[in-house]
Amino acid sequence: MGITAADAGASARMADSVQPAGTTEHFAAFSFVDRIIDLVPGKSARGVFAIPAALDTFASCLVAEATGQLAAWVAMAHIAFRGRPVAALANETRFLADPAPGQTLELAVDIEHCDDEAVAYRGQAHAGGVKLLELVDCLGPMLPCAEFDAPEALAARFDLLCAAGAPAGRFHGIAPIRLVSGETIAGERAAATLFVPESAPFFADHFPRRPVFPATLLLDQQIRLALDLAATTAHWPAGTRVRPARMTHVKVRAFMPPGSVLELSAEMAPMSAEPSPTAASAASTSAASAPTTAAANIRLAAHMDAKQVASARLEVAAKVPT
Amino acid sequence: MAQAQFSKEEIDAVFPAVAATMADALGCDVEEVKPDASLIEDLGAESIDFLDMVFRLERAFKVKIPRGKIVENARGTLSEAEFEQHGIVTEAGMVQLRAYMSEVPEARFKTPMKVKDIPRLFTPETFCKLVIGAQREVKAGG
Repeated sequence: MGITAADAGASARMADSVQPAGTTEHFAAFSFVDRIIDLVPGKSARGVFAIPAALDTFASCLVAEATGQLAAWVAMAHIAFRGRPVAALANETRFLADPAPGQTLELAVDIEHCDDEAVAYRGQAHAGGVKLLELVDCLGPMLPCAEFDAPEALAARFDLLCAAGAPAGRFHGIAPIRLVSGETIAGERAAATLFVPESAPFFADHFPRRPVFPATLLLDQQIRLALDLAATTAHWPAGTRVRPARMTHVKVRAFMPPGSVLELSAEMAPMSAEPSPTAASAASTSAASAPTTAAANIRLAAHMDAKQVASARLEVAAKVPT
Repeated sequence: MAQAQFSKEEIDAVFPAVAATMADALGCDVEEVKPDASLIEDLGAESIDFLDMVFRLERAFKVKIPRGKIVENARGTLSEAEFEQHGIVTEAGMVQLRAYMSEVPEARFKTPMKVKDIPRLFTPETFCKLVIGAQREVKAGG
């Protein structure tokens, strides 16, 4: 990029100076790229994010978010910050191992297509030599950048990330999201109501000019609902511990503003009798997680004011005791 | 641009894969994807679904589908000014549109028709024609 440390310092100051008032959490509360390395503009990039050791946990969905954010930086820079990807389609997310606080995520993305309309990409994340997650055939529609954030602040931040990198450790976790269980039929379907908070630090970062509940936090809650449901099926012995193996057909259709009330549903779909390729892959490649076997398929949906705002399918696998 | 013609055989050849791709994108059964179904009215497609379908079709058929190609194709030999005036499809434009979207039942062609409402006419067969056109361009270029 040909950017010097002095430039980076200037960029950091600029990022501060153009940061919207009252958004001290900007580039902190929901930002998961500390530094961008090996950038091939518009084509590919690698990046890193240090998961603060002080956190109790770091959800796999946030690893997906980090990978998506790296792709977003490459895409936004490619179109001179006229647009930014908002909402998302992820054809396949493979959960291979769990991240842990204190680890450094090594992110990589390949941009398959990028213009003012959309970015299509794939990506993966490693930590400690173990592949944690893989994103396949993701698509982010581009919307006008200025509706969501200050383009000049984003450009300055990008320059900083590409140079010296941003200070690590500014992410302090996500406060629990209020989720109230609804009508559930064991082994068949589960429902819950998710109350998007009226205010939360992550809204200052996602996004300063138009706060939107991050889709990855919704997906995280949907996965939790699905795991609870999967654990009640007769597909495996009672007490079996389960984990997400693969999420497909993720489609986010609408913005979820602060204070939204979302009706979540999870419904069992026909199960596969044999271990899926992904479950088998997880078993063979994951050093951090217990190996998995067999799979249950669950359809997930979220509605807001009776309109479907998100849908996905989740393949759940059983953890095999080690 | 000359008005593209598509034979039934050409459409039949790509339809199964187009229908499967659309069913996957829309989360519906492939049996629901009829050639003349309205993607918006009958299958509940939204703008994000159209984006999804175009990218899926590009991957499935290994072709590039330029954005806005459907309306451009539908316009045929007409200039933009001949096709629409102030966002409304002209009489000549409607003739061209009916010819290009021959699979769409007549009752769906409302007049006056706004250009922004043309996507309401889109059917799986419309996308078959899009794919066939892109395949022809690949052959012509190769």
